[in-house]
Amino acid sequence: MDHAAALEKVTAIIKPFAKHVEALKAATDSTRIIEDLGVNSARLVDIILAFEDEFGIAIDDEAADKVRTIGDAVQMIVQKTATAS
Amino acid sequence: MAFRIDRLGLRVQEVLAQAMGPLTYGALTAWMRFARAYRIPDLQRVREEFRAQAGTQPGPLLVCANHLTLIDSLVIQWALASNWRFTSRRDVFVWNLPDRRNLAAFWWWRVLGYFGKCIPVVRNGTPDQARQTLDKVRWLLARGQSVVIFPEGGRSRVGRVDRQSVTYGVGQILQAAPGTRVLCVFLRGRGQHVYSDYPAKGETFVVRLKSIAPISASAGMRGARDVALQIVGQLSEMETRYFDDTGVDR
Repeated sequence: MDHAAALEKVTAIIKPFAKHVEALKAATDSTRIIEDLGVNSARLVDIILAFEDEFGIAIDDEAADKVRTIGDAVQMIVQKTATAS
Repeated sequence: MAFRIDRLGLRVQEVLAQAMGPLTYGALTAWMRFARAYRIPDLQRVREEFRAQAGTQPGPLLVCANHLTLIDSLVIQWALASNWRFTSRRDVFVWNLPDRRNLAAFWWWRVLGYFGKCIPVVRNGTPDQARQTLDKVRWLLARGQSVVIFPEGGRSRVGRVDRQSVTYGVGQILQAAPGTRVLCVFLRGRGQHVYSDYPAKGETFVVRLKSIAPISASAGMRGARDVALQIVGQLSEMETRYFDDTGVDR
C-alpha cells in the first residue's frame, strides 16, 4: 500500500473520533492525533484496533505506543502491509 | 530494580495503612457522617451484600465503580465494610488509584492518601507510566489484595456513566491478573446531577453491587476492550435501573 492510499484510509478511520474535523481535513504527516485532532486518548486503542481490522495487520502494544501523529500511523501501516504481502 | 523498590514501598505502605486504619478510617467516616452529614440509608444491607458477593472469601478483587466526585472511593470503602472488619481483613481495605494532581493540593491529603492505600497515578500519562501502574496493581492483586478502579478514567463529565471515555486499563489489569474477581459498584448521591469535587452536604447515597465475570475470546488490546466494555456496560445498566427505580428525572 502506498503512502497516499494509507493516509486517506487513516484519516477516514480517525474521523469519527476527532473533535477537530477541520484540522483533520487539513491533516498532514505531522498532525498530532490527540493534541491537534482532539481525539480522546482513551480512544486511541479503538483507532489502533480499527487499523488492524481495515488493513489486516497485527499491531502490538509497543508499536501502538509509538503512534503519535498521522505520519506515525501511516508509516507503520505501510511497513506492516508491505511485510504482510 | 525500580520495581523492587516500588514493591517494598507498597509493602511498607500496606503495613502502615493497616496499622493506622482505625484512626484514618474513623476520622474520615466521622468527617463524612458528621461534618458533611452524608448518609447511606441501607448501609447494613450493602455490607451484607458485599460479604455475600465478594467479602466471604479472600483473594484478589477489583472493585469497578462509576465516578462523579473526588471522594467516591472513600464513600465506597465506607459502604463496603465497617472499621473493625477492614482493619482485620487487609484484603477488604481497598487500594485506590487517584490522579496525582488531586492529591497534590494539600500535604495532609497526601498523608491521608498514603494511609488510605492510595497509589497516585498520572492520568493520561506516558505508556511507561501506565505500565508502572499496571505492574503495581498486578502485584497487589497477585497478593490477594483489593483495588478500586474507575473504568471511565475520571469523573464523568456528562453526569452519567460515560461510555465514550472508558479506558481499557481495567481490561489490561484483568488480563494481567487472572483469577481476579470483579465487583461492579454503582454509587450516586440522590442530589448529584453532574460531576463535582465533593457531594453536597447532607447527601444521601445509593449504593448497588453486582459481581460479574467478564470474559473475552480475544487477547491483547482487543480482549482488554471487550472486558472493559462489559464492565462499563454493567455499570450503565445499574445506572439505568437506578433511574427507573427512583423515578429521578434523567
